[in-house]
Amino acid sequence: MFATGFLVLGLCQFGEAIVGTEVWRRRAWRAYLWPSVFFLMGVLMWPVMTFFTNSTIHMLAHGTWAEVLMIAGATELALVRGKLSSPWWRLMTALAFAVSGSAFLIHEQNGWFFQRSSFLHHAMGWTLFGAAIVLLARCIRPRSVATGSAFALTFVVIAVMLYCDRDLAPVFGHLSPIAGAPHR
Amino acid sequence: MRRLAVVALLALAFPAAAFAHASLQHTGPSYRERLQTAPRRVWLDFDQTVKALPNSIQVYSSRGDVVSLPARNEKNADYVSAQLRRSLPRDAYTVRWHVISSDGHVISGLFTFGVRTPAPPPTEAYGASGPTRTEHVVRWLYFLSLALFVGGIGFRVLVVRGPLPPRAEKRFYALTAIGALATLNVGIAAFVLRAEDALQLPFSRLLYGDLSAIVGGTRFGQAFVAMTLGFALVTALLFLSWLTDRTVFLLPAFLLGLGFASGLSLSGHSAADAGASWKSELADWVHLSAACIWIGGLVQLAVVVLPLAPDLRRSAFLRFSSVATVLVALLIAAGTYLSILRLPHVHDLWTTGYGHVLLVKLGLVALALAWGGIHRLVAVPAVARGGEGLFARLPRSVLGESFAAMAVLLAAAILVDSRPPPRVPAQTELSRKASTFETKTFVSRSTPFFRTEAGP
Repeated sequence: MFATGFLVLGLCQFGEAIVGTEVWRRRAWRAYLWPSVFFLMGVLMWPVMTFFTNSTIHMLAHGTWAEVLMIAGATELALVRGKLSSPWWRLMTALAFAVSGSAFLIHEQNGWFFQRSSFLHHAMGWTLFGAAIVLLARCIRPRSVATGSAFALTFVVIAVMLYCDRDLAPVFGHLSPIAGAPHR
Repeated sequence: MRRLAVVALLALAFPAAAFAHASLQHTGPSYRERLQTAPRRVWLDFDQTVKALPNSIQVYSSRGDVVSLPARNEKNADYVSAQLRRSLPRDAYTVRWHVISSDGHVISGLFTFGVRTPAPPPTEAYGASGPTRTEHVVRWLYFLSLALFVGGIGFRVLVVRGPLPPRAEKRFYALTAIGALATLNVGIAAFVLRAEDALQLPFSRLLYGDLSAIVGGTRFGQAFVAMTLGFALVTALLFLSWLTDRTVFLLPAFLLGLGFASGLSLSGHSAADAGASWKSELADWVHLSAACIWIGGLVQLAVVVLPLAPDLRRSAFLRFSSVATVLVALLIAAGTYLSILRLPHVHDLWTTGYGHVLLVKLGLVALALAWGGIHRLVAVPAVARGGEGLFARLPRSVLGESFAAMAVLLAAAILVDSRPPPRVPAQTELSRKASTFETKTFVSRSTPFFRTEAGP
């Protein structure tokens, strides 16, 4: 579900980057579309956090994602609505991405090639850090098509990685003897 | 085309899931199961392969005797089991387990079961320790954040319903938003600390501790789930109110906030201890809600309305004074009822630890009430007569009253974490001997930690 949310976010961002902000916002609701999805994903992450309690670290990570998604979505909505005016508020979204990336990297204690889930967790963590840097660039050049497209691309990449099974299957061969037999 | 896109998104929204860490699926006996006959073994079923160590499953009696033999993997490596030493006598048992997951992490957990006796909640399992000073502070912070959050919204709903000047409006939302974030985060911290008490693991191992038995098997865990979800929803409503400039969202936010605050009453002494009834739960909720609205209102009055809304401060101060009188009356009535319920004898006040903390709390309550009384008897008539000069000193004085009330909350936090003296019903000697778990309650609160024993 969250992968689909990220895919929707990515497609919206791509749409805006390709046609330009003025055209994209000719219908007022479009301006609210991706920040609302962002905020809603944050709200919906709380049930995941409370019911996914088979380890403390997962609970804490999902709690962190829920909060940063809500805060980033709320900030973007407030910018669209005019409640906040300084473009530097977008740094809040950059911070949210950096925190989310850190949560992935801290939570994954194995190396990149230990198993598929490790690979995906590292890849997602660094992609989110990349997105945070793109957002920093976007604060400086808000109308740049390149930064807009790069930002959209990170959402699509994250969506694709979230769709992947994060399981015990090997990545580029079974490198760790402790990882156990792949179950598929 | 649009339909196709919707169908595609729906199909993508529900993909098959697979996860890296092993998760406990089933146990035998199940969580807090009361068995009529003693089990011969304890088994754990995971969703994927795990590696068992000889001490992967350790079963303790209520006295701390280990009654399990070394654990081993079954033919299906998803299963781990341990035979039990002998036919277990009537008692409550604690199972502490840890296995190596296929991703290399050591995952740990615990659960309890009873043989011909009720099983205790995991937070009272053998080896679990009682609340620490850190937990007292965290609970106090939770009360404070709840007052700032729910009490702050209550102030807008009950005292100042109309719009505030822009700067005051901004500060109101900033304070309540801080309260909302603090409520969510401190709630999570409180839950993790309680889980640490039960699991008795060092921090690095606690990160991979299985909390499902605590979430599902204790009132505290269930309250945590309901309150976290509820307060996230209230936070969303608060945000919508700010974003759209519509205070109409504040009423449902306030009512939901008060409703979900009842989680504390439904999981604390008023719900779990001997003599608990719906009346004690209701009294506890009224006590807590009145305190939150009173303290949250004082903060809003001192920090938002008095300094930033000169046109509203007279009416707000007089209206809050009336509301606070009702709140304090409710606070005292509910508090008195709960004190009598938990301390049936007056001498309990000076002979028990719970009584000592209650005495300190009563002293602080007297201070806060005296402060409030001066406002009611001196400041309110002066303001009603039109004394503008008083407003220069009033914010500091109101803030002082709120600090006194916050000190009361600290005593309340320690009280909630303390155990009231047991209510001893009239019993014959025979029935006392025959009594079960309730009177044999684990002595493990004073037993040494398991930090060294629980490792693989």
